[in-house]
Order: sequence, then structure tokens, then C-alpha cells
Amino acid sequence: MADRAAARAVDAEELFFDALEGFPTVTMYLKFAFKSFQKQLAYKFEYFVGVVNGLLFIFIFTSLWKNIFDSSKASASSGFTMEGIVSYAVFAMIIRISMSQDDMGVMGKIRSGDIAMDMIKPYNYFGVTLAENVGGTMFHWFTRAAPILAVCLIFFDVSLPRDPVNYMLLAVTWTMGYLIYFMVNWLFAMIAFWVIETFSFQLMKYGMFTLFSGGIIPLDFFPDFIRPAVAYIPFMYILYVPTATFIGHIGHGEAMGFILFQGAWVAALGLVSALVWKAAQKKLIIQGG
Amino acid sequence: MRDELGIYLTLVVASIRARMEYKASFLFLFLALLVYYLAQVGVIVIVLTKFGSISGWTLGEMAFLYGLMVFSQGVTTVLFGSLNDFEGQIISGGFDRLLVRPLSPLMQILASGFEISTVAHFFIGTTALYFGSKSSGVEWTLLKALYLPVVIGGAVLIQGGLRLGVAAVCFWTIRNRSLVHMLVYSSKEMIFYPISIYHWGMQLFLTIAFPLAFINYYPSHYFLSRGGAQLLFHPYIQYLTPLVGVVVFALAYMLWRLGISKYQSAGN
Repeated sequence: MADRAAARAVDAEELFFDALEGFPTVTMYLKFAFKSFQKQLAYKFEYFVGVVNGLLFIFIFTSLWKNIFDSSKASASSGFTMEGIVSYAVFAMIIRISMSQDDMGVMGKIRSGDIAMDMIKPYNYFGVTLAENVGGTMFHWFTRAAPILAVCLIFFDVSLPRDPVNYMLLAVTWTMGYLIYFMVNWLFAMIAFWVIETFSFQLMKYGMFTLFSGGIIPLDFFPDFIRPAVAYIPFMYILYVPTATFIGHIGHGEAMGFILFQGAWVAALGLVSALVWKAAQKKLIIQGG
Repeated sequence: MRDELGIYLTLVVASIRARMEYKASFLFLFLALLVYYLAQVGVIVIVLTKFGSISGWTLGEMAFLYGLMVFSQGVTTVLFGSLNDFEGQIISGGFDRLLVRPLSPLMQILASGFEISTVAHFFIGTTALYFGSKSSGVEWTLLKALYLPVVIGGAVLIQGGLRLGVAAVCFWTIRNRSLVHMLVYSSKEMIFYPISIYHWGMQLFLTIAFPLAFINYYPSHYFLSRGGAQLLFHPYIQYLTPLVGVVVFALAYMLWRLGISKYQSAGN
């Protein structure tokens, strides 16, 4: 089955690149994205486990919220209804899966030294990495996020929002969140240029992401004294903003403000990413003598 | 047997010394693990501060539940941590080398990768157990104090058995990374919370088919004197952790032996 899917992907690839013949740079980045998509097709069992994992987490958190919101007290004090918080749990996890990125690849290349090969090639390594991640992400969209969404719509009594504006806002907030997530991963990977033992930094990143991204608990539930601080680190703009906007917890007008903040984070992280990459290249040259 | 134990300990000490070579990075790893686990705890603490209790379990009781899990996970990782990368040993052929040595291959694997990072587990587990029993007013009788290590032993056998069983799968499939990820790590998220929040079918599953509930949920009932009102089964179930541990580990060990004999006969 996967073979046939792979064959079809190749067909589509050829057609697609024929059409793009006049744009060599775009074609190159797209090729990286396609290759990464195809690579993912090779791991069938991993795929299955990924889907089961996603459903497991959705099951845990919908059970948790249903239990807590069973008493009518909870919904009054939190700003969520039971349906609201259940669909938050479901869509936060689906959006999280739909954003899956390979956050070890660049780090691995830096540690092994293979990164030097990418530096001498005539492309922008940041762009290539992004393209590769987009390819992988598209794979996760079709093969993980979509089936999990289907299962959830059938078994977890959640429904999709009716208003088309929610979908447009999702497209914008998702893309921004995705870029923020990518650059956070990029910056954590860059640490490997200066520090040999990077696993500790990864652990810290996972910890902060778990707590502050909104993947598990929405920002609204944080105690008042932490909430302002959480708004000043990038993590909540990755999952909380797209999820809360999509399910309508953040209104359309309010969403504009959040999108502006996301934009500011994309710009700031983009600048820092570029600067750190420059510094890293220098660092590598010095080491090489 | 005494010789085997001596060799095992020598190998463990060698492994610890290898890890301690980079002291600064070791200390930093410890800190990072603290951050990682504090984030996990943070999720539970935030939910509880906001809503008071989860399925009738207060902050102190939840801390005890979590502490029992993390502490026994720490002991499990000390003893069985190296099994998680068993796939690597099969692929590289490293396991074949162990087979020709005059010491049980399982002993050699267990001694090879002593995970010293589990200091963080013990630290967090002990803190959570201490805080949990204090704030939920556990009355420590002599019996309870003596029974705690027995329960932890049972919980370690359940988790160790699980890791051994998952590692044994490698003898047939060579790779098991995804299975480790799902059965050893992700599944544990289920028992961060009292399993009474789940549908009864899932509670049944976590009791009989995949008995993670015996690691912390059932024994916590005994230590916290919660009574049996929330239990699906007869209240005696809260004492069964050690027995379940022995059964799970015995089954896993049988699978492991079967796997080794199959692996050897394939002409490797």
C-alpha cells in the first residue's frame, strides 16, 4: 500500500516539477520537501505508533477534562464549557501532530561534522532545513493528523467550527506558529556548535514546550501571577494561539492582536536565527584552522 | 551466583565512572532532568490549583500517586535502563559478543548502561512521596513503612518486566524503537492521573491486560487509606502489586528465554 502511495507521490512530483521548470530556486527547495516526504513513507510501523500515541494522549486529556468539568463549578470559573475544553484538548493535539518537525537532524549534522558539507553547497541551509521540515510536516498532515481528526470526529463527540473565518485564521496562526516552532528548534540545534552535550538542552526545551505551548493546558488556566510571563516567551504562540483561535475561544477581533504578536516573534526569531548562524559559521571556521 | 553478582557490581561501577568523567555536563543533565520533570508536575499542579481536585484526589494525594510512579521508575531505570537500547545491540552485533562470555547475557546487558541520571528520579520521587504523605495526612504505621519497599519492588518488577518483554521482541523483529516509545514511555502518561478518570473499559485494560495501575493507583489506595468506593474490583486488589510484579516479570523472562533460543538457532 505504501509502495503504491510512494509511486503516486513520484508521479505527482514529476508533473509538479515540469510545471516549475522556469523557477530553479523554488524547484530546488520543493525537491527537498518532496524527498523528505518520501523518506517518511518508509517507516510504516513508526507511523502506526504515531497515530496510536496521538489518540492515547487525546483519550487521556479528554477523560481528564470531562471528569473535572463534570461538576458545573469548573466551567464557571475557567471560561470554558465542557464541550469547549474537550475540543481544545482534541485540536491542540491534532495541531501539535500536524506541526511535527525533525528537531534532531540539524543537531546531529553539527555533532558529526556533516554540516560542513551543507555549508559549502550553493544553497541557504536554513531554507533547505525548513523545506525538509515542511515536506515531513505535509506527510504528518495527511497520514497522522487527518486520520486522527476523523477518528475524533466520530468517537470523541467534537465538531468542526462552522464559520469559514475560523479556517482562514487557523491557516495564518498555524503558519506563524509553525515558523516560531521551527526557529526555536533551529536555535536549540545551534547550541551544538558551542556545547558538546546537547541532550540536556533538548530536555529543557521539551519541558518548556510541554508546559507553556498550550498543547496540554490552555493559557487561561495558569495562575494569574504566571500568565503575563508566559505571554512573553514564544511557546504559547506555537499551539495555544492556533488552537484557541480555531475553536473560537479567541474571538476574531482578539485573534488579530495575537497574529501581530506572532508576527513580531517570527521577525525577532528570524533575526536571531540569522545572527546565530553567522556566528556559528565563524566558530566552525576557527575550529577548522 | 555470588561471583555473578560481584562481576555485575564491578561492571556497574565501571559504567558509573565512565559517566562521571564529565562532571559539569553530568550536573547540567541533572538540572535539565529536573526542569523536564517539573514541567510534568507543573501540568498537574496548575490543573489542581485551578480546579481543586481530580476525580476526588487532592494535590497531596496526586503527589503521592506521582511519587510512587517516579520513584519506582528511577529504580527500574537503574536496573533495566540499558534494555531500552537493546535494538542497538542486536543491530550492531554487540549482543553476539555477550553470548560467548561465561556470564548470563541479561546480567551483562543490565550492567552495561548504568543510567546515573536517575538521581533526578529519586530526588523528585522522594520529594513527591514526602510532600504527598505529609499533606494528605498519611499515618505511617510500622506495617505501612515496611510495605512501601515491597510495593516499590513490585512496581519495579512490573516496569522491568515490561522493558524486558519489549526488548525480547527484538529477537524476532530486530527493531523495537517505536514499541519502546509507545509501551515504555507514552503509556506511562496514563498513570499520571488516577485511572478512575477513564472509561471503565480502560480501567479494566490497565488492571488486567496491561497492569500499569498496580504501579501506583491501587497501592496508593492502601497508603492513603482511601477505602474501596472508587475501585471497580474487590478492595483486596490494593495489595496485589507484588504478586502482579512477579507474574509480569516471569512472563517477560519466559519470552526473553524463548527469544534467545530462537535467536541462537537461527545461526547467528
